[in-house]
Amino acid sequence: MSKKSDYLSRARNQFFSILLWNLVGLGLILVAIWGVLRTFFHPILSSPYFGLILGGSTFVISLFLAKILSTRLISPVQALWQLIINISPNGNLPPPNIDALKIGRELVADLSTQVLQLTASTEKSAANPANGDLNRNFIANNLPLPLFILDDQEAVVFANNHAGDYIGINPKDIIGKNFYMVMDMSFPSEQTLDKWLKQVKDTSATASSSWERVRLNVLDNHPTRLFDLAAYYNKDNPDKQETILVVFDHTKQYSQDDQAINFVALSVHELRTPLTLLRGYIEALGDELSQNTDPELQEFMLKMSATAQQLTIFVNNILNVARIDNDQLQLQLHEENWGNIVVSAANAINLRAKVRGINIETTVAPDLPSVGVDRLSIYEVINNLVDNAIKYSANGKVIKIDAHLSNDGMVETTVEDFGLGISPSIMPNLFTKFYRDHRNRSQIGGTGLGLYLCKAIITAHGGNIWVRSNFGKGSTFGFTVQPYAKLAAEVKNSDNKEIVRGAHGWIKNHSLYRR
Amino acid sequence: MELSTEPEETNKPKKVLCIEDERFIGELYIRALTKAGYDAILEVDGAKGLEMAQSNQFDIILLDLMIPNVTGIEILRILRDPEKTPDFKAKIIITTNLEQREDVRQDIEKQADGYIVKAELTPNELVEFLNNID
Repeated sequence: MSKKSDYLSRARNQFFSILLWNLVGLGLILVAIWGVLRTFFHPILSSPYFGLILGGSTFVISLFLAKILSTRLISPVQALWQLIINISPNGNLPPPNIDALKIGRELVADLSTQVLQLTASTEKSAANPANGDLNRNFIANNLPLPLFILDDQEAVVFANNHAGDYIGINPKDIIGKNFYMVMDMSFPSEQTLDKWLKQVKDTSATASSSWERVRLNVLDNHPTRLFDLAAYYNKDNPDKQETILVVFDHTKQYSQDDQAINFVALSVHELRTPLTLLRGYIEALGDELSQNTDPELQEFMLKMSATAQQLTIFVNNILNVARIDNDQLQLQLHEENWGNIVVSAANAINLRAKVRGINIETTVAPDLPSVGVDRLSIYEVINNLVDNAIKYSANGKVIKIDAHLSNDGMVETTVEDFGLGISPSIMPNLFTKFYRDHRNRSQIGGTGLGLYLCKAIITAHGGNIWVRSNFGKGSTFGFTVQPYAKLAAEVKNSDNKEIVRGAHGWIKNHSLYRR
Repeated sequence: MELSTEPEETNKPKKVLCIEDERFIGELYIRALTKAGYDAILEVDGAKGLEMAQSNQFDIILLDLMIPNVTGIEILRILRDPEKTPDFKAKIIITTNLEQREDVRQDIEKQADGYIVKAELTPNELVEFLNNID
């Protein structure tokens, strides 16, 4: 390297001196002319033609000098150009005579040697593919990221050393194996790697994509890995090395997020223990006092139970929101009788309504198809919607729950109250986290998590949630869930035994990726 | 199901072992179970609880997961291992308030006969759950 920069500076100095001497030469000639004219033709100096003659002759001399100058300066470039034409296929120029160069000879000689070496090595690797492979291995293994190359069957044809280290397997042992068997991954969205590949293979010649927060499911006792994944697909690769995958590990960063949910989980445990006790003692006390006919005492018992129940809903909301925010809410959708679910959820919260003197009227349409839902999560949704209806009922004394088939073939359930209603200005924000109606924030308690949670759960079920309100007269919240038959088709297509979903509406391809 | 086919079994009260280190919660469960006609006892220590469960004299084991000495998950594994606990017949119901990672939870649920979040059920509701278990 230092040698070449020496050559460069020498060439630069040579250019500089040529330029300098040419300018000095021009100057000297001009001075000489001036001297001659002044001595012999003094009267002419005052002639008006003198300026013309002097300017013209200077111009001619400059032209001549510039011609010599530019030819000299371009000569090293010309030599290199001649060399490249000479070695390229169909090139019809003779090799340059480097020795004849007056400036930059060493630089041109050095560059020529390198150009010739480069040509020699490309010719060799074209004749011998193993050499190309070696280069690829060299580059891939020195790339500080795990890298996999897959063939058209999604089997691993190449994995670099970092890839082996990352999954704890010798890279040689995974060659030829199906990639999904090697990497048991969970994706944070419905668009998984295999779905994407399937799509692009049908539609594109080349494509690239990336995923964030992919989780590598590992065997017991190994730490989980969390990473971003980038994929490049090229259909026309001659060696069938179609897909290149690069892993960007973010385990440390992403697992800090997981620790945040662990903190919530532990807090929830600490809250639940006293809550369990409280509910247990309230019940035991209620049993003991069941013979007591003092109406005030009975009312106290009822209020205590309802309050403990409210606290349970709140604790579960905190936990579930933490799960949703960390992509850790997972739903298992099973075939269920919707009528039974709605009725038992309504019964469970009836206590809270009763305390406020409110009646819950539940209507279930006959002949509803069975639905595909996660029972416990749906309880949370109904609990939250009815709890809201109770809170905002004001003087309303009835809450109507109605389950029926909607026009688009979904099973729809509405929860209607006849209370305060919602002003149109705040409707768009209702399902936003921590959003609360500012007008009655001081009168009615709440965290602003309930509807956010409902929306996340219903979305994950593949349903919709909506609200309609008549300000001052009451509100109706409605949501839909899918009939099981629709989901069953999904199960069939994905080879899954069950459907597992996350908060943002994704399906984890569980059994497909299981080792 | 096999037990109930024997005629004497139906008259005998079912024996329940509650392995639960939160003594107050355990006591509430024992109280509700006894009232409902079960023969229930409480054990607050994991190691002792495991020993008792292995003695094979119980029909139902209520098993907390966070307990001292031997954890609930270990107890579950040992009771389900035919070499360590031969001829184990009791139903195992996990009772916990601890939040599990979903895959861990599913794994536990597969090995157990039931899984209960304690805060979700009052003692009487737990009894109702056990009444319907087989």
